Amino acid sequence: MEKLEKQTLIAGLIKEGEKDQAVNKLTVWANETSYRMVVFNILEPMLVQWGKLWMKGELSLAHGYLSGKVAEEFYLLASQNEEFVSTSVKNKGKVIIGNIEDDFHPLGRRLVSIYSQAAGWDIIDLGNDVPAELFVEKAIEHNAQIIAVSAMMFTTAKNILNVRKEMDKQSISGKVKLAVGGAVFKLRPELVGEVGGDGTAGTAMEAPELFESLLAMLN
Amino acid sequence: MTNLERILATIPGIDADYQPFTMLLSLYGASLIKTDTIDYYRDPELWFEGQRAVVDTFDPDIVISPFSFPIEAEAFGCELVFLNKYAPNIKKPIITDLSQLDNLPSPDFETTKSIQFLLKGTELLAQNYQGKRAIASPIHSPADLPALLMGIELWIDTLLFHPDAVDKIMKKTVEHFVKLGNEFLAKGTTFLVVPVNFTNQMIITDKMFMLLLPYLENAFSRINGPIVIHNGGCKLMRFIDRFANLPNVIALVLEHTESFDEARQIIGDKQILMGNFDGPNFANLTKEKAIELTLKILNNRKDDKHFIFATSNADIPYDTSVEVIRAVVDTIRSFKKY
Repeated sequence: MEKLEKQTLIAGLIKEGEKDQAVNKLTVWANETSYRMVVFNILEPMLVQWGKLWMKGELSLAHGYLSGKVAEEFYLLASQNEEFVSTSVKNKGKVIIGNIEDDFHPLGRRLVSIYSQAAGWDIIDLGNDVPAELFVEKAIEHNAQIIAVSAMMFTTAKNILNVRKEMDKQSISGKVKLAVGGAVFKLRPELVGEVGGDGTAGTAMEAPELFESLLAMLN
Repeated sequence: MTNLERILATIPGIDADYQPFTMLLSLYGASLIKTDTIDYYRDPELWFEGQRAVVDTFDPDIVISPFSFPIEAEAFGCELVFLNKYAPNIKKPIITDLSQLDNLPSPDFETTKSIQFLLKGTELLAQNYQGKRAIASPIHSPADLPALLMGIELWIDTLLFHPDAVDKIMKKTVEHFVKLGNEFLAKGTTFLVVPVNFTNQMIITDKMFMLLLPYLENAFSRINGPIVIHNGGCKLMRFIDRFANLPNVIALVLEHTESFDEARQIIGDKQILMGNFDGPNFANLTKEKAIELTLKILNNRKDDKHFIFATSNADIPYDTSVEVIRAVVDTIRSFKKY
């Protein structure tokens, strides 16, 4: 079976909600060839294509969630494979990620983590309801280049401004970039600047690209 | 012609004196009476004062009972967060694990303050406008309420992998929907408005939709009055034929980027279509731009007598200029449709 056929088969299984079958197929192919071959020639190109369809509104949030679950489970298996671990491209940079204080909507954040890890970013996920001070404390502790903060609603998005204030207070604003994201930023793009953000991404799949552009601004 | 007669004329598709219209001005009532939104969404008398100001200022053909889905979710135990100039939101879901579904309470309408607010607001509208204007009552779709109670991620996961839990929660939300919907109608509501914020092509797959459809059919068939399907800020088109064929559905409100012509091709000429002026974008418009957008919709629907001009998506923002809204109203009133 050609690479493209394999990508199409996995996409079809995910579209039908057959998560376990998709992971099983990928694992069988990985055992026949290598995890590296499956990740770079099948899973990642399929996810890129999937992301384009999602951005065009041709796939639903549930499709994004399903593809994220398949990727998460397969990367977990791949992380236990010595050959894959030793040859993986890593260390594009470190990202501290979390939902801002009072925000309890983890889906977007979790998808950003999955796709960014797949793209070679080192992700430190702080979870839901994270105070501004903790984002900055962890960024300093891990020497991170990016703080990525998620908020779903306007009522919680305004709390992100406290992260920017804390970054200024700890004098890291010139060394660390603040990425913001969540449904409210799609509805109100002007909010990115209002909460002190340096940039945003329309979907979780665009997050790695955003991180690269923010990193380029630091260099 | 009264405002109500103008709306009723769209059912058989007969001529009215002018194009009927409505706007989602639930939040904007607070702006007109210059009140704090925290009090506004707690005190039905104050809320009604705002709606009376809406009627006096813009004379809409449909008045809308309190629009706040988080308040409905609060009745199940959700904690709300209030911010001035905005409608309240849910702070966090109350269900974080599917094992909690067994203990999910069914709100007692007599004792639950949030339900009392919704019903009392409706009652005040009916006392003042029943028989004169159409009264619309927004109510959570039974298939959307779970997303508020457990969060979108857990709801999607449940729909994908836990059909027994879907059945468990849907049985509860269907009963709540039927009870509250019929209570609104008993208070004087003309029709229910059911947004599909989470039951649409942007959120769920076709397979998930088909899983939910029988619950919607059951719930809608037990409602003692007409139902309007509202886009809720998402696109309806992929499932519009399914929505249009649900029991008691008389109208559909399109999202602001959707095409009426495409909708007509799918659902035919008889059902009422509503929309599709982007309500939340009102605050960003000049008078001239608002008039241009209004005329574009009116001209597109000039020959469609089963059409009601309406704002789509969520509330018109608090800080919107009265003059811009009035310009839209004046454009509708002076449009020579009939």
